[in-house]
Amino acid sequence: MELKLIDVWHSYNGVNYVLRGVNIAFSKPGVYVVIGPNGSGKTTLLKIIALMIKPTKGTVLVDGVDYWSLRDEGLKNNLKKNVVYVHDKPLVFRGSVEYNISLGIKSRNPWEWSKVVEYYMSRYDILNIRSESVFKISTGQAKIVTILRALLLGPKILLLDEPFTFLDKDRTRLLLEDIVELSKEKVIIIATHYMYRELDEVKNQVIELPLLTQ
Amino acid sequence: MAESIFDLTLRSIYISSTAAAISFLLALIIALKLLDSSDKTRSIVIGVFEALVGVPTTVVGLLIYMLLSPRGPLGALRLLYTPIAIIIGETLVALPIAFTSMFRHLQSARYNVRELILALGLTRSDERSLLLRETAPILLSSYFISFARAIGELGVALIAGGGIEGYTSVLTTAIALQTSIGNYEYAIQLGCVLISITMLIIIPLRLLGERVYGA
Repeated sequence: MELKLIDVWHSYNGVNYVLRGVNIAFSKPGVYVVIGPNGSGKTTLLKIIALMIKPTKGTVLVDGVDYWSLRDEGLKNNLKKNVVYVHDKPLVFRGSVEYNISLGIKSRNPWEWSKVVEYYMSRYDILNIRSESVFKISTGQAKIVTILRALLLGPKILLLDEPFTFLDKDRTRLLLEDIVELSKEKVIIIATHYMYRELDEVKNQVIELPLLTQ
Repeated sequence: MAESIFDLTLRSIYISSTAAAISFLLALIIALKLLDSSDKTRSIVIGVFEALVGVPTTVVGLLIYMLLSPRGPLGALRLLYTPIAIIIGETLVALPIAFTSMFRHLQSARYNVRELILALGLTRSDERSLLLRETAPILLSSYFISFARAIGELGVALIAGGGIEGYTSVLTTAIALQTSIGNYEYAIQLGCVLISITMLIIIPLRLLGERVYGA
């Protein structure tokens, strides 16, 4: 899957632009790291790549197709489900840890989701809290829940917004291992404040965003 | 001989729970439609419903009376002084409170649900079912509030229902009647039953609230 941003601009109020003339192509598997100071538009850029926000100006090409010009909702959905984004702050819903992890995969793969969910819960050592209310676990555990929920969907492009925030050392290491492994076949785009050695070794490209003042 | 408390209670619960169910469903449909509307439309509709929360039930009763009276536009249906007339009236009485008690919660839950749907690339039907699941305790509370509003009102039951013994008489009309003829002891018993039913609604409501906010 190839995704390209061509001369992308974005403004939330029509006056101040958080992104100006961004041109990037994600054509081969690997890790792409987005860095920049607070307010430089990292999250906005990730959400535009994740096809969640329509840019104010510019084109988003997915496999050569201008995504935001598509009228066929079925085709749009098919393209969209291959691009998954994980928020910086864990976005969880009323229910257990297991329910939250399986939220997406349950509807996509109703028959075989439970084994995969179990494997990942075991890997990240959260099997013991699988039935706990997601509002009663720590922020770091909730963050893992949201990352696993995305990983399980097996997207071709995975966007992680500050994925290591709130995570302890062990889970950060596990996640880095998974990212490195996944990046052999998929595009992983990460917004982060800190460049981990593991990421530095496997990264395809670093996208640096400047802070725009107006 | 006055009608038994048991029969009055059953009829009250039947009429009010039906009215509450209809008003709840109407409120839910309106709320879900309104989530997709423009800010201006949303503000106007919310304002109208908030204003209607405090409308006197006697005014609604009068409206239903005029609609259903033999000379009224719906007089041919012969619904005046029937349980259906009370159900229609109580539906109108409970609708604003059903709507206002659920809409803000649906609106705030919808933001997060939409974020997740977009982030994971899920479908619109996933969005609807996740939103309803996420707000289920609030929706349940909303139904109970509608029921409490319906069962406790007098204006509609008296004006549109007529308080006919054995047919349209409900707890509130029976209390009014028994008080007017000086049968205070019976009126007090009916009042206790009404309060007990209301308490049985408030207790689960509180438990649900604790579950939602304490979860």
